[in-house]
Amino acid sequence: MTHIFEPSTLEERRRYYRDEWDINDLPDFIRKDLSKREFGFDHLGRGPNDRYRVFKTPDMLKRFMRYRSPFAAYCSVAFYNKPRKRGEWLKSELVFDVDAKDVPVRSCGCDSVCEICLDEARQIVAGLIDTLKQDLGLKNIHVIYSGRGYHIRILDESAMGLDSEGRSQVLKYVAGAEPPKNKYFMEDESGQKPYELEHFSIPLGYPAVFTKRIKYAILHMNGTEKMEEVNPKLMKDVLKYREMVQKDEWGLFKNKIGPIRYRNLVEGISKLNMGLVDAKVSIDLKRILRMPTSLHSKVSMRCMEVKNIETFDPLKEAVPKFVNERKGY
Amino acid sequence: MGNFLSIVQLIEIMVLISYLNPFSSEGEEIVREKGSIEGIFEVNPELLQLVRDSKSQNISDDSYIPKNYADLALKRVEWYLRRKNDKKYNHNDYAFLINPKIAKFDVISIYTMAQAIGIKFNPKSREGRLLVESQGKLVEDRLEKLVPIERKEVVNNLLNQMITQDNIKWTSMSQLLGSKKINLTDMILDQGDVVLEKEDFLIRFEDKIEGRLPEKMYDLLIGEKIKEMIISRMIMQKTENYIHKVHEMAPKIEAHPTLLEIGEQISEKIKELSYFPGSGGSGGFGGDIKATQLQHEAFPPCIQKTIEGVGSGNRNDAIVLLLTSFLSYARLYPSVFRNEGTSKISDIDPDLQITINEIIPLIFEAANNCNPPLFDDDPQEKLNVIAKLGFGVNKDPELKHEGESKWYTPMSCDKIKIHLSSLCKPDATCKKIGNPLSYYNRKRWELRNSGDKTPSKSSESDSDTD
Ligand code: SF4
Ligand SMILES: [Zn+2]
Repeated sequence: MTHIFEPSTLEERRRYYRDEWDINDLPDFIRKDLSKREFGFDHLGRGPNDRYRVFKTPDMLKRFMRYRSPFAAYCSVAFYNKPRKRGEWLKSELVFDVDAKDVPVRSCGCDSVCEICLDEARQIVAGLIDTLKQDLGLKNIHVIYSGRGYHIRILDESAMGLDSEGRSQVLKYVAGAEPPKNKYFMEDESGQKPYELEHFSIPLGYPAVFTKRIKYAILHMNGTEKMEEVNPKLMKDVLKYREMVQKDEWGLFKNKIGPIRYRNLVEGISKLNMGLVDAKVSIDLKRILRMPTSLHSKVSMRCMEVKNIETFDPLKEAVPKFVNERKGY
Repeated sequence: MGNFLSIVQLIEIMVLISYLNPFSSEGEEIVREKGSIEGIFEVNPELLQLVRDSKSQNISDDSYIPKNYADLALKRVEWYLRRKNDKKYNHNDYAFLINPKIAKFDVISIYTMAQAIGIKFNPKSREGRLLVESQGKLVEDRLEKLVPIERKEVVNNLLNQMITQDNIKWTSMSQLLGSKKINLTDMILDQGDVVLEKEDFLIRFEDKIEGRLPEKMYDLLIGEKIKEMIISRMIMQKTENYIHKVHEMAPKIEAHPTLLEIGEQISEKIKELSYFPGSGGSGGFGGDIKATQLQHEAFPPCIQKTIEGVGSGNRNDAIVLLLTSFLSYARLYPSVFRNEGTSKISDIDPDLQITINEIIPLIFEAANNCNPPLFDDDPQEKLNVIAKLGFGVNKDPELKHEGESKWYTPMSCDKIKIHLSSLCKPDATCKKIGNPLSYYNRKRWELRNSGDKTPSKSSESDSDTD
């Protein structure tokens, strides 16, 4: 019925860049220092082979887009003094890429993207942003709808100099990809038995982040998720008792599951959480990302900056006009 | 009023600062005053006396007593390696290192060491790593021996010196995060700040904490231990940065022969002490250097899985990047990460017989076990295997092509977890290592020492000996 998520033809691309696309929609964070970024293009739908492009002004970019109507357009997260050679690297945005198709816990179970997993990706992104602000104190955060998911792009100067390892640490923190400690030692009591303290009893710091992420996972699992540490019996019990998690009755839930199996669950989900965000993108300082305002031709969606992640609905806001005008619609 | 420090105690704190952080302004002051390279090998009576006077110091033999700055430097190396690897290690052999009065000598010796290492080696060399790690350990040991009130005071002082802002931002620790000296998840973060002080903690979180005393929560989650960890890691980083700085300047200045001499001696000392039979294993110093038969039972889970065959998703990288580098280094040069510089296969396998007859067949066999078989799909990946062995993009390894590409070292567990996550199924040994090759070295060593005297049954390698 709908002609959504279908590839666009060359003709449609041309129409998009002629009639709908406006260079003035390009977000300021891209426009500023435009000439320090590397641009890349995919003209034939076979990957971004046309790379190392540089545009001195928005106007030159505009002419290029109008004239070539590329299948896909990208620009670097990195800023360079010599972008044409990717030389003299200055800094890179800190990015998190959440692709609806790759989210490890999806209640829809579809094999590509659908309305449901797109919305779940949106919720995940909102959660990540919350942690990026509350815990990490980052402020210059932009969310881009990529066509099949979201990019979180951070331009706080203090974060743009991080190296790959530092970025991977941030990723683990915000995604809840490390099992939190559950034993703590008291000061001046060396030799004492450690105190058991589960993440859900600690309403702050990383343990609290982990609690949010594991809660999300438990409530959205459909039982088909594969975790080394979680056997079918445990999975069944998790699904059986998850209402307690919904009500934040963690102590009860852990009791039902049992302490050892609970630990297994924590380990399993922390590994799953590693897949919430595409780590390869986050640790790559020279990555190119889909350019906001450009067309994601494979699914005929507009890549665009999201102003309010809480209310954003891609099916209302990111569908180009030509899709609705397709024949037979 | 017992909580206030007297003037005498305050002066002692000043001494303690340089004792713990040689890179503090107090430490630099000592170097300015006494830092002449000339007297490094001269017997220093004051030092001798101080060592003898150190509480519980073993003086039964002269060899326990460092006689000059150079000796002291070597003692530090010895202390660290024995503490780490030697079951018979006795703390009283090195009690002088935990005597705060050692500071003025110790500071000179660490600067000397850092310069010697920076000139002769690079900061990531094992000499460099040893100095950095040992400095961190020493800070921990030294803090532990202080009386609580001094300890608290000096910790706060050190923190205040090293961190100039009111609040520490986690982003100001990017170097420590990048070098994995600190885990972000171990820190309590709020609005970008690393929360360290109790008052600050209470102001920020008191309202959120229910059913537990907020003060106790602070003691459990943060307390002095996180502060001390940050301090020791920062001092490690400062040590590393200093070596780095020297290393960068080294080509521009002529090195003092004394420094070269000391660098040489440190290196010798490490070689001499790197292997302690019967010790609990080490994080990168023991193990053999020679090429030996492969021991399949010591392969880590990720390699076992790769050999059994990989599905199409990760297949190419698993064979071309992971297995090729792992097998070649495991067979020819398992200690690569412990040594300096790069090497070629022909340094170890001059006629390439091992490479051609043992290593490549194993790689190709694993490639065949894949589903679908790798070379059926992607015949050019054969060339890439050869390239990763250092022989350029060619059909066969040939000496005339060697060096056209780099002999690729195995990627770290962290990288594997990201790029080939389905292969990583860590077991207990994995917890102690960061690279599959270190796993292999460690496991072989454990097997040797577990009384299991079955040196490479070579069940699988039978086939390629006939
Ligand atoms: S932890 Fe490292 S050695 Fe162990 S299976 Fe994973 S990647 Fe391999
Ligand atoms: Zn879906």
